[in-house]
Amino acid sequence: MFLTRSEYDRGVNTFSPEGRLFQVEYALEAIKLGSTAIGIETTDGVLLAVEKRVTSGLLVADSIEKILEIDHHLGCAMSGLTADSRTMIDHARVEAQNHHFTYDEKIPVESVTQAVCDLALRFGEGAEGEKSIMSRPFGVALLVAGCDERGGQLYLADPSGTYTRYKAKAIGAGSEGAQTELQEEYYDTITLAEAEALALKVLKQVMEEKLTADNIQVAAVTPSLGFHVYSQEKLQTVVDSL
Amino acid sequence: MLSDIVAQYTQDSTSYHGDLAFSSSNAWQGDVAKQFGQLSFDLPNTGNPAEFLHQYTDVKSDHDALIKLAHGTTTLAFKYADGVVIATDSRATQGSVIASQSVKKIIEINPYLLGTMAGGAADCAFWERELGRRCRLYELRNKERISVAAASKLLGNMVYSYKGMGLSMGTMVSGWDKTGPNLYYVDNDGTRLKGNLFSVGSGSPFAYGVLDRGYDHELQKEDALELGKRSIYHATHRDAFSGGYVRLFHMNEDGWEFISLTDMDDLHWKYTGDAAVTAS
Repeated sequence: MFLTRSEYDRGVNTFSPEGRLFQVEYALEAIKLGSTAIGIETTDGVLLAVEKRVTSGLLVADSIEKILEIDHHLGCAMSGLTADSRTMIDHARVEAQNHHFTYDEKIPVESVTQAVCDLALRFGEGAEGEKSIMSRPFGVALLVAGCDERGGQLYLADPSGTYTRYKAKAIGAGSEGAQTELQEEYYDTITLAEAEALALKVLKQVMEEKLTADNIQVAAVTPSLGFHVYSQEKLQTVVDSL
Repeated sequence: MLSDIVAQYTQDSTSYHGDLAFSSSNAWQGDVAKQFGQLSFDLPNTGNPAEFLHQYTDVKSDHDALIKLAHGTTTLAFKYADGVVIATDSRATQGSVIASQSVKKIIEINPYLLGTMAGGAADCAFWERELGRRCRLYELRNKERISVAAASKLLGNMVYSYKGMGLSMGTMVSGWDKTGPNLYYVDNDGTRLKGNLFSVGSGSPFAYGVLDRGYDHELQKEDALELGKRSIYHATHRDAFSGGYVRLFHMNEDGWEFISLTDMDDLHWKYTGDAAVTAS
């Protein structure tokens, strides 16, 4: 598939004659190898749901964490090379706390997404005056969910350093099917409870294994409760009601 | 290390940070700020910044200096069976002038950690806010609340890296963690003490007098709060640099609780009109 790119796909600092950076494009491909993650903006908050690949009965499902807290009002779901997300999320957390320290207010969702994307382009040799942190682009995409004075928002931050706001977005291995499904089923007045059902329905369709409370993770960010990951019990009731 | 990477690009790369006693700055990570990605302060570009700053800074009122630091305060905190009582006055002085009677000398670091303010108001406010930031990051990274011991050590280490450069801070860090209620004293020298009872500031000898007389580990909450309030009142009565209002907080298992803000004038008439309170 990529045979014709052999001359220009090695270096991260060389454009191909067609104007493409292949390593960045390959990084975007890496996300499609990850498990599916879904985010939905609703009238009363933002919902995040991810598939967990529990590959063995000996694997402790709780130890897989694909949704993490950035601050009280911010959370994010990931897909791709999840190890790369550790640097990005730690940066997001530091930026969120620095913003609070400096301005005594919650960091806006867009600002924290911007901060994550600033990192994404700092690969390669590094320009004058600034150190690069990675030799290659990140191989992970983040769905950043949060509530600020502009209400609930969902952003996708990808390895190219681009961020885009979505009403509903799916990333990862099953993203194509899931996105089509979301496009058909989404409506502007969707509530959090309805989004829970929708997200799980979509996940169920694209997951290879049977969906249970053990192989998914769900979290929400609401104005009142902030970021919270669903407990095993709550997850079980949502799964049962499908 | 992850935190090193984060520090590299979050830190203001142009600022110079000198390790006063340690010439090889890479060998010793004295400034915790580097690891946490906070900008550090510029220091005078001399061989020994501490000595340079000492000429111009008056921390202990022992010589006439260009930079004079405000002090004059009564703060106290004591640990007992049901938690920690934290009480302060509210006066700020600049020399012989009362600059404010409504200072918040109890700093809410986070919902379960409190700090008190004595010495330089800005130094206390800034470093305890910075402590709050780091405690929150600790919580996010480790998925559990920081212990009071660790939090106070963090503060102690931060100010120690600027030792001798004019910081003025005498604070009591209190909180409730897995081990129960905790109380630490931390100051700008880097001193960090664990204890049951502390008082800091110019009014502290007077507060200690009342406090030592009435303190008992098995005190009832109501009596403990009254003891804290009464100690501050008596200190402000004898110390001209303390006064205003008594601000009273209590540390519970689920975090701090604001108790009261009482006008010293009201307390004066209450206590002088009621001789029975002198012996409890």
